[in-house]
Amino acid sequence: MLAYLINLGVLVGINAVLAVTLNFVMGYAGIYSIAHAVFFGVGAYTAAFVALHLSASLFVTLPLAMLLAAAVSVALALPALRVRGEYFVAASLGLQVIAVTVFSEWKSVTGGIGGVTGIPPAELFGRAVAAPAHFLVLTLACLGAVIAATTLLLRSAFGRSLQALRDSESAAQAAGKNVAAIKTLAVAVSASLAAVAGVLYAHYIAFVNVESFTLDTSVLLMAMVIIGGTGTLLGPLVGALLLMLLPSLFSFMSFLPPTEISAVQQIAYGATMVLLMIFRPGGLVGGNARARS
Amino acid sequence: MSTVPVEPPLRVRGLRKAFGGLRVTDDVSFDLAAGIVTTLVGPNGAGKTTLFNQITGELAPDGGSIALHGQALLGLAPWQVARRGVARSFQDLRLFGQMTAHDNLLTAMEPATGLWQPGGAARQERRERVAQLLEATGLAAQAQARAVDLSYAQRKFLSLARVMASRARLWLLDEPASGLDRGSYERFVALVRGAVRGGVTVCLIEHNLDIVADLSDRVLFLDRGRLLAEGTPQAVMGDPALAAIYFGERAA
Amino acid sequence: MLLLQLLVNGLQTGALYALTAAGFSLIFGTTRVFHLAHGSAFVIAAYVFYSLAARAGAHWSLALLGAAAAAVLFGVLLDRVVYAPIRRHEGSFFTLFIASLGSAIVVQNVVGIAFGRSVVTVSTPLSRSAEVLPGVFVAPLAGVAIGCALVCFWLLQHFLGTTQRGVALRALAENAQLVRAYGLHPARLSTLAFALGSLLVVPAAALTVATSGANPAMGNHVMLISLAATIVGGVGSLRGAACAGLLLGMAENLALWRLEPQWSEAVTFVVLLGFILVRPTGFFGRAHAH
Repeated sequence: MLAYLINLGVLVGINAVLAVTLNFVMGYAGIYSIAHAVFFGVGAYTAAFVALHLSASLFVTLPLAMLLAAAVSVALALPALRVRGEYFVAASLGLQVIAVTVFSEWKSVTGGIGGVTGIPPAELFGRAVAAPAHFLVLTLACLGAVIAATTLLLRSAFGRSLQALRDSESAAQAAGKNVAAIKTLAVAVSASLAAVAGVLYAHYIAFVNVESFTLDTSVLLMAMVIIGGTGTLLGPLVGALLLMLLPSLFSFMSFLPPTEISAVQQIAYGATMVLLMIFRPGGLVGGNARARS
Repeated sequence: MSTVPVEPPLRVRGLRKAFGGLRVTDDVSFDLAAGIVTTLVGPNGAGKTTLFNQITGELAPDGGSIALHGQALLGLAPWQVARRGVARSFQDLRLFGQMTAHDNLLTAMEPATGLWQPGGAARQERRERVAQLLEATGLAAQAQARAVDLSYAQRKFLSLARVMASRARLWLLDEPASGLDRGSYERFVALVRGAVRGGVTVCLIEHNLDIVADLSDRVLFLDRGRLLAEGTPQAVMGDPALAAIYFGERAA
Repeated sequence: MLLLQLLVNGLQTGALYALTAAGFSLIFGTTRVFHLAHGSAFVIAAYVFYSLAARAGAHWSLALLGAAAAAVLFGVLLDRVVYAPIRRHEGSFFTLFIASLGSAIVVQNVVGIAFGRSVVTVSTPLSRSAEVLPGVFVAPLAGVAIGCALVCFWLLQHFLGTTQRGVALRALAENAQLVRAYGLHPARLSTLAFALGSLLVVPAAALTVATSGANPAMGNHVMLISLAATIVGGVGSLRGAACAGLLLGMAENLALWRLEPQWSEAVTFVVLLGFILVRPTGFFGRAHAH
């Protein structure tokens, strides 16, 4: 039972990092990206590659993963942000599809469809973080750091600029804000922090493959943020917890055939998203506050 | 007052813009003089807001020139034009709805893009200035209220305060006083006049003729994209031909 | 000769893409709703056609009618039950987008539970390909696909260009006030747009079931193509979306000449990203005045 809870805790923690970072761009900057799983993947593959060939120390894998994810995101953002917000979604969709193909085909780095196995455990100050309980502490510490970083940013002048451009892009421009640059920076921050989740994932599962970084994952992450409530601190955490508990919840319902559980799950959160948008766009935490004004 | 000739704050020459066959700006040329309030008037659809949009860089004209104190503005992005000292308000306000009144003003003073802003004394100075502006526009009690929750008049004043916060020397205000009650209106006029005395160049778009007569030193009459007349409010609004166009009595 | 075969395949695929893309473009262009569930209308039409034609043994014309009814019903239902309430609360673009996404997820999984996830097909005498040129195989169905697309477009052009409702639909995107002034209801016109747009996928869906088969996840691919085609062709231009759909169908097939199959979907997106970069208004799109 304890082992089960610790495992759940680590997975919820990792997904919470992803939800918090996605909320940073969606809820505060109004940038809807359906490619978040790509940065999760970039982080994971980088950690896997570096840990196997260079060093498993977190002081090496984390910065490299974050840098690479930021670079990929900037490559997407710079051109895509020149156009209206709606087209950014389409562009991010394009990135997600292309990324899955790259992850599946670049065998020398990503191991192709088979993925990368035998990833060594993460090392902190020369000691391996192998015990699940220790890893849970590490995960929670990273989650805490990510929450602290995003909160600090949101309370700063940069955060105000982000919210201004979410509320009215034209007025923000008229107030002297370089909207494209601000959005690019926001996307880069979000992507690099999402890579942290990827690093944790790679070391915990000791195996990464493309199945974890598909469009389905990006959609699930978006669902977590939407259902929990965009633009709030608690929202993504609630969303991550809820959607991670769903599989366990459904497995208790013995009348459901086990092969269909994943489909039923998806129906559950799909329907929830529709109902929430009609009745409570602010999500569970946000209430009736409109998801975007 | 010195008599050395200087570049006017804004000089527009031969500005043209067409959408398909429709000419929304048709060879418009004018100067905005410093220290006075100029008002753009004209019937609906005359192209007044479109003219503002071209000055601020939101819309690219097809031809002509716009110079701010002699420096060309064409080709600059709106945020660059804003940083050169041009502030505008919108007819539909476009406040930062989910942010507090206080933050609406604070963010207008923080245009820098990077992840940090000049701190220390500058930060303190910004916060003091926000407090002053909230006081001057009668919004001190609403400092922590979200912009969407304010009343109509309060939102109009917040829109003006946001313009004032930017320290711009050229203000383009799009129907800033419409719908204000008498008391609010007087307060609004006092604020604009105070700014003008301080050296700000103000250009308004206004429909209400009483406000036009009251506040303007100079009037530009626009119709179907063309500048038909300019002069004192009395001269322009007193012209029967222009009045006919304004009230829509002209033959189709 | 491989190239020629790919060209023919490309034309067939392209014709089908053009239809679905035009459907999406019609809906998005007139109502501004990012109707991600458009792919779901395709899936529903395909499976109803399959159920009636293969499982129930009905004649293909009856099956087509059934599929059309189902698709239109779905589109209208989404407009009235999901999108309309959201728009009443001043729903933003993204609220509608999320609602659409949720609907699409529900449909895909319900279909998956009901019919299973493997590919299903309907075989017809028209599906058998004949060798028209050495090394080039064409099924009569290809000709049907292209012919269908042309007829549908001709009908659509006629409707949008000459009938009052059609003209009003085009005006709706620009100016809802104007539409009201003529005594027409924007809400009813919106429903019409959804009905028409969803109807357009039906021939494409039926033909796809008869050629390459259907599976619950096909909606995603259809959706991606329709979206890419609408942007590449230019938002607001049906002709553009149709041309772009054709182009993307050709590109997807011609890419096989040199690339592995798994890269063909990526090709579509490279084209899309290229357009967003270089010419976001697309081929025929109207530039947006702010």
